[in-house]
Amino acid sequence: MADAENVREDVRAFQQKIGALREEIGRVIVGNREVIDGVLTCILGGSHALLEGVPGLGKTMLVRTLADALGLKFSRIQFTPDLMPADIIGTTVVDQTAAGGHVFEFRKGPVFANLVLADEVNRATPKTQSALLEAMQEHHVTVGRTSYRIEEPYFVLATQNPLEMEGTYPLPEAQLDRFFFKLEMPFPNREELHSIVDRTTTDHEVQVKSVLGREDILAMQKLVRSVPVARHVQDYAIRLLQATHPNSDIAPPKVRRYVRIGASPRGVQAILLASKARALFEGRFAAATDDIRASAPPALRHRILLSFEGEAEGISTDAVIREIIDQLPQAGV
Amino acid sequence: MSYPSPTEPGLVGLARAARWTGIRLRMGDAIGKGFSLLPIPIVYAIAALTYMKLAQPGPKLEAFLCWAGLALLLLPLGRSLYACFRRQPRYFGAMALDRHHGYRDRISNALAFGDLPASQRTPFMQAAMQDAVVTARSLKPRRAAPLHVPLELPVVAVLVALLGGLALLEVRTQRMVAPGRHLTPLVLAPDDLDLLKETAQQLAQQNQDPETLAALQRFNGLIEDIAQKRLDRSDVFGTLQQIERDLNRAGESEREALDEGLKALARELEKSALSKPLREPLESKKLDDAQRAMRELAEKLRRNKPPSKAELEQLRQALQKASQASSERLKQLEKMREELSQQRRLLQRKEQRSSDKQRQLEKLDRQLQRLDRQKQRSELAARQLSELDRQLASAAEKLFQELGLSAQDLERAAQDLNRLAEKQQSEQEKQKLLKQIEELRQLLRQQGQGGSQQMTRLLLFGQHARGEKGQGSQGKKGQPGKGQGQGQQGELPALGLGLSRGAGSMGGAEMPGAGVQGSPPKAGQGGPSAPDKGWGAGHDPNVKGEKSGTQAKTKDVSAAAVDTGEGSASSEVIYGAAQRGFVGRGYQKVYTDYKNVAERGMGQDQIPPGYRFYVQRYFQLIRPRE
Repeated sequence: MADAENVREDVRAFQQKIGALREEIGRVIVGNREVIDGVLTCILGGSHALLEGVPGLGKTMLVRTLADALGLKFSRIQFTPDLMPADIIGTTVVDQTAAGGHVFEFRKGPVFANLVLADEVNRATPKTQSALLEAMQEHHVTVGRTSYRIEEPYFVLATQNPLEMEGTYPLPEAQLDRFFFKLEMPFPNREELHSIVDRTTTDHEVQVKSVLGREDILAMQKLVRSVPVARHVQDYAIRLLQATHPNSDIAPPKVRRYVRIGASPRGVQAILLASKARALFEGRFAAATDDIRASAPPALRHRILLSFEGEAEGISTDAVIREIIDQLPQAGV
Repeated sequence: MSYPSPTEPGLVGLARAARWTGIRLRMGDAIGKGFSLLPIPIVYAIAALTYMKLAQPGPKLEAFLCWAGLALLLLPLGRSLYACFRRQPRYFGAMALDRHHGYRDRISNALAFGDLPASQRTPFMQAAMQDAVVTARSLKPRRAAPLHVPLELPVVAVLVALLGGLALLEVRTQRMVAPGRHLTPLVLAPDDLDLLKETAQQLAQQNQDPETLAALQRFNGLIEDIAQKRLDRSDVFGTLQQIERDLNRAGESEREALDEGLKALARELEKSALSKPLREPLESKKLDDAQRAMRELAEKLRRNKPPSKAELEQLRQALQKASQASSERLKQLEKMREELSQQRRLLQRKEQRSSDKQRQLEKLDRQLQRLDRQKQRSELAARQLSELDRQLASAAEKLFQELGLSAQDLERAAQDLNRLAEKQQSEQEKQKLLKQIEELRQLLRQQGQGGSQQMTRLLLFGQHARGEKGQGSQGKKGQPGKGQGQGQQGELPALGLGLSRGAGSMGGAEMPGAGVQGSPPKAGQGGPSAPDKGWGAGHDPNVKGEKSGTQAKTKDVSAAAVDTGEGSASSEVIYGAAQRGFVGRGYQKVYTDYKNVAERGMGQDQIPPGYRFYVQRYFQLIRPRE
């Protein structure tokens, strides 16, 4: 009984913290509730997000605000074709000691932060991209014979510009798979634009307060992982993932026709973790199929590879996922 | 908010609600699925019923269609049952409740966690279960799983109504009967039909023989069918043939055999003075007379003054031979046959190969065949006369012992003759009917040759005879004028003999309307024409007496029943009747007289088949029509 009561308390506290965080972010970022929740879900899931949107939609601002509100160390890397891995992970330099001697000292790069904004990640060469992606996956950086652990929580938010694809190096599927969510930054609506204009063209300056600390984040990440998922809900998530594979028995016609490769098991991991976070956001104690359905598009859209026919016909992966969700029965026999 | 323990009945209530919801979902699914397929068997039933009502196939096909319909009915039924009992997810009902109430899987999760062993339940799970119990306090399975009215219900209702209406509807279908042959009915003049009916009635009154009466009944039916125009020529001929067959024409050989047997008997009985009177009736087949003569003979034997011994001996021999006549004849025939066979065998053995031998053989064969036929007849006669022979033999035996006993035997022989007479009577009746049939057949043949014109003439004549002036009768009715000339004279003069004044002029040419075969003379036919040419020219050379006045004196004289010698002459009566139709009391008398004489004449003379009918028809046509 006591445990359950504690859980309820924890969940209530979690909700309060998330509410405070949302409120604080909302003071700077107009709208984009889904993106903010998605980013928070990624942080609470202990993973990273790929944010796609045209320039000027506030991607950098979102991450900076998030970092300020969370009281975490933030760094931003603008990816360019000539960016080298050492530029992001750091390099070893010869330094003179006080005694006059010389020592090799490792100067940490921008990846050594709690929140890293990898802006226009697809403009860097694959070599540089892979250096970042190693850090993202392993949460440490190896230089020479020494590995340097990155401080938790560690969250990378990479952005991509869907336009201006010329001269870019699209992320390979294996690397895309490492992103928990791929979020799409929508263009603000009229009201939101009014607010953006009001806030940015006046002398109104907002100071973002830190509402959560590093320990809070870690505790919240742990709480998310404690949320149970009933067997039938988990089964639904798994069937959803299976349905993304064109060779699957339960794959809908659209998948069979337009999908070349379905999502990897990382997809269902992302869905379930995101569902747990979502359940907590709403003060529930277990993930539901609704959470699965809501989490599936951002978790799977970058993990599904369309066939040539799908590409040619301009089919989006979101449409494929929507079809799967619509046609897949909630409960399997 | 106080959270209950998971062991509280709340969770049980959730489970019950979830189960009930599941049941309702199954029911709804079964109804929906069943109704979705129900139109198929109904549409089939409508089609099949329509087909059965219109085409009316055989019972085999109807049974097949019914079975096929039942099989189709299994489709919705099977689908319903499958939907009702198919395997469903475990928390099927709970999920529906969650969906309906927007509980975000709280109930299904709680039940899933509740199914786990307590040791495996985490605090989060317990919290989730308690949360579900608290949140889902008022569940509405009816709303969560409503039993919807199937969308197909209106369609099914309309189809069922259609089917019901169709079942009640009685479609009158015309059976496809094999196209009947085109009937060209045989038409007989009403006068002819009347004549035939009358004849049949007369025969029926005279007849007692059941076979003949049955044949007469069929004959009457045939006449009725002809009158109703239900038969064509071939039908009529076929029926006539059938009646003839029924009347047992095969009995002809029996009659012939009996004739022969009786003749042989007569020949033997002639040899005795006592039995001589039997010869004539037996030979002429007057069995009634023969019977009478036999009884007289028996009476003679019983008298106090019996015949002499010589006479008796003569009679004994005659009776004995007569009793053996049939068997003797048979023996004789057998002997002849044996001789002929012997000749034939000898001839065959000869090595002569010539056409003479062949001819002789053929001749012998023919003789043998003839003998066989005679033998058959003799056997037949012997069978028919066996009783008579026995009685005669017995009488001969007892003649010298006891005359009384012999007389008794002769009496019995007379009785047997009576039996033969009765048989002969029925045969005669049959013969009369057969003759009548033959007459009808001849009439039909003649009518077939005469064509429709003859029928028109007969009908027109009938019209005139009734005194009606039909359309176009001017040119058709019998005009006064010269009748048929030489060709007809002498055929009917006998009719007028001794009847009345002027009757002798019947054969004359002045009988109005007496055309060929009773056809009325056409306009202008009676006019002058070249001598010895055509009809209406010349006179009967046998005319006796004065020429009948051609002026019709149609004034009636009120002196009926008293022959005062006054009033119209017969010819005048006939002439007047011909002019105004065959009506009037005077004409009735003349007609009856003439007809009686004609019938008497026909009864005495041999008249070929068909011709007798012409005479009958003539009188039928000119009969008085009141």
